Amino acid sequence: MDKIKVLLIDDEIEFVETLAERLELRGYISKIAGDGESGISMLAKESFDVAILDLMMPGLSGLDTLRQIKDIDKTVPVIMLTGHGATKDGMEGMRLGAFDFLMKPLDINELLEKIKLALNPSAQG
Amino acid sequence: MKPMEISKEKAAFLGRITASVSHDIQNVLAIIKETSGLMEDFFLMQQSGGLENFDAKVGKCLQTIKKQTYRGVDLTSGLNGFAHTSDVHQISIGIFGTLNRLISIAQRLFNQKGVDVSLMECPTPCSILTDPVLFQMTVFSCIECLIDIIGAKKAVSLDIQASEHGLAIRIVCQDTPLAYDDYSPKLIQSTQWTAINGLCEQIDMSAEIISDVPGILISIK
Repeated sequence: MDKIKVLLIDDEIEFVETLAERLELRGYISKIAGDGESGISMLAKESFDVAILDLMMPGLSGLDTLRQIKDIDKTVPVIMLTGHGATKDGMEGMRLGAFDFLMKPLDINELLEKIKLALNPSAQG
Repeated sequence: MKPMEISKEKAAFLGRITASVSHDIQNVLAIIKETSGLMEDFFLMQQSGGLENFDAKVGKCLQTIKKQTYRGVDLTSGLNGFAHTSDVHQISIGIFGTLNRLISIAQRLFNQKGVDVSLMECPTPCSILTDPVLFQMTVFSCIECLIDIIGAKKAVSLDIQASEHGLAIRIVCQDTPLAYDDYSPKLIQSTQWTAINGLCEQIDMSAEIISDVPGILISIK
């Protein structure tokens, strides 16, 4: 079975680098982008099974990045990361087509579960 | 502005800055949590068969945690100092220290718009007796006004000027090629400019549009 390819988009580079390493240790292929523009450009060049996107980024915001991702590839599931108290933005992201959102700090097992569900939405209870 | 309106504006300003800093603190905690999780992964791998470069990998994680801890301490200290500025309505404050802390904790809000705000070193220690929250609101509003109305794209700088005529804070855009005739009407017609003047009145300061470069000069009477 092919490895699942994840694109991580977040301006907190140490956060995404660490998360990418943890996903790699669990058998995923992960690539990172430090801002929305880079993430969109990576998505335009290669395909990913799932994208993890931070909502609060300098420059192109998370929601604008999401809109552009959906313009490029409607099918790629996007899981958004947000802070506590920003659930309104998370809900807005879902309205724009995101699969779901998670709160920072993350629980890796919760993220893995969301990725599985995003790739197989029919398994959602 | 009526006292009730001032209180509401102050609370909104304090809330906005606090929300931004707490977002940064969440990021710090998220990095520490992920890094300690990665260390846990390394220890499990080491226990079940060994892990190449184990010491170096764990050492790198510890460095990350240490760096983020310092970042967290800076953020919480800045936020704590900022929060305490609302304790009194009038007190003597050091202008450089107060603005330096404000810029540091509000930088994320400016960075969101792609702008980096900097404060030039001030060789002369300058203090003023003022309402510290209203003073910070005034300067913050000027920076935002330059970003939102004048369209500063990359950098805004602040310079504290002390002379025999008194104290002033010069806040300028460094990357906007607009001429005075272009930026002056834009500022004057904006609601932000009216709000800045309203704030200045409260703390006995005045705001004027700078003529040689897009910017605002806050003069302390």
